[in-house]
Amino acid sequence: MNRIKASELSAALFLILTGILCFISGRSFQTMHRPEPVFPSAGLTATHRLSDYFPPLKNTHGDTEVYIFRGTEEGGNLLVLGGTHPNEPAGLVSSVLLIENIRGKRGNVFIVPRANASGFTHSDPQEGNPQRFAVPTPSGPRLFRLGSRLTNPVDQWPDPAIYINPARQKLSGNEVRNLNRCYPGRADGFLTEKMAFGIMELIRRERIDIGIDLHESAPEYPVINAIVFHENSSELAALALLELQAEGFDIRLEASPVNLHGLSHREWGDHAGIKAILLETPNASHGRLKGKPSSSLIVDGKDKFYAKASRLGWLFVPYGEEGIPLALRVARHLAALKALLGGLAELEPEKAVEVEGMPPPAEVQKKGLGAFLHPPQKSG
Amino acid sequence: MIRIFYLLIVLYLSLHLFWHLFRQKNPWSQAGTALVLTLFLLRLFLIK
Repeated sequence: MNRIKASELSAALFLILTGILCFISGRSFQTMHRPEPVFPSAGLTATHRLSDYFPPLKNTHGDTEVYIFRGTEEGGNLLVLGGTHPNEPAGLVSSVLLIENIRGKRGNVFIVPRANASGFTHSDPQEGNPQRFAVPTPSGPRLFRLGSRLTNPVDQWPDPAIYINPARQKLSGNEVRNLNRCYPGRADGFLTEKMAFGIMELIRRERIDIGIDLHESAPEYPVINAIVFHENSSELAALALLELQAEGFDIRLEASPVNLHGLSHREWGDHAGIKAILLETPNASHGRLKGKPSSSLIVDGKDKFYAKASRLGWLFVPYGEEGIPLALRVARHLAALKALLGGLAELEPEKAVEVEGMPPPAEVQKKGLGAFLHPPQKSG
Repeated sequence: MIRIFYLLIVLYLSLHLFWHLFRQKNPWSQAGTALVLTLFLLRLFLIK
């Protein structure tokens, strides 16, 4: 009798522990659904949602913010997309850096920092990635979410065995949740296809002239430190390459393959006729050769395994013991953006876009990201 | 509709685990059951 009572007592104790564990882990999961605050500069003229361009996205995890900076002079329209792949942090941080610093001068700038908002609400399974990474600022660390390359399966499930995307490209099943394989999108498709359709609607309605999609790739991946361009932007990409090389950035050009469909640098050009560019920087944190994943691996970019792989000649970029920090990767994106805008002004002056207050890439490298980011919001 | 079916399945399995927890006499088996029950309860409350 006593033995039964003892086991019931321990069962009740374990039940209480279960409740505590549920509460702690539940709270942690819920915070992944709260996007970190962005503090736009005084130059912000409007904030829209992607659902303003495509209403079926309203009240879904596919809806996201669109920050608009309108210039005082006539010019072209620029779209900057960060967070297409939420496990490529330089895209998100570059977009946030722009939002928190720039003022429109000529033309209009549209910035979407979390293009796949759903991808930010979960992490890649079995990767052991941190939920967040901390960028140091003079007022303390500022936290950003590290998400997954793909849309959260909670929002879009199940994956088909083979995915035939809206541009009729056959892909493996899980690519159905990869925003950068779903262009030009489907109005009545899966959530990720709807997000892609929403971005196409933004491009069409705002008469975007040039779209820049910010990405990162693993150092063992051949398309790295690269400007990937649609053939309608080849001259622009070549001009940008010259300027970037003159500034000391080692960068290469990659033409968008004409028979690889569903990607921004292909479909934005084919279906909306805009100049379509995708930028890649090297990120060890989502490569296969990395050591322990951590916030410092993302921010400092130091990894002894990548340094060794570089010495063995296995990588497509030099990777020293000093690593490739996030500040350098963001500086590369900003330098490429500046060079592309310079090239656009030269090639098509009537479509020129000029902004003020963009953090100079050399200064970002020298002073760090924190010098150009808003201080973190105090909790509580 | 599919969500209700899903929740009913998770509820059934959670109740089964709950019953199992009180039936077990070995504390280690109870600890294992409690850990699995945690995952099912998170699912039940749609914390994901």
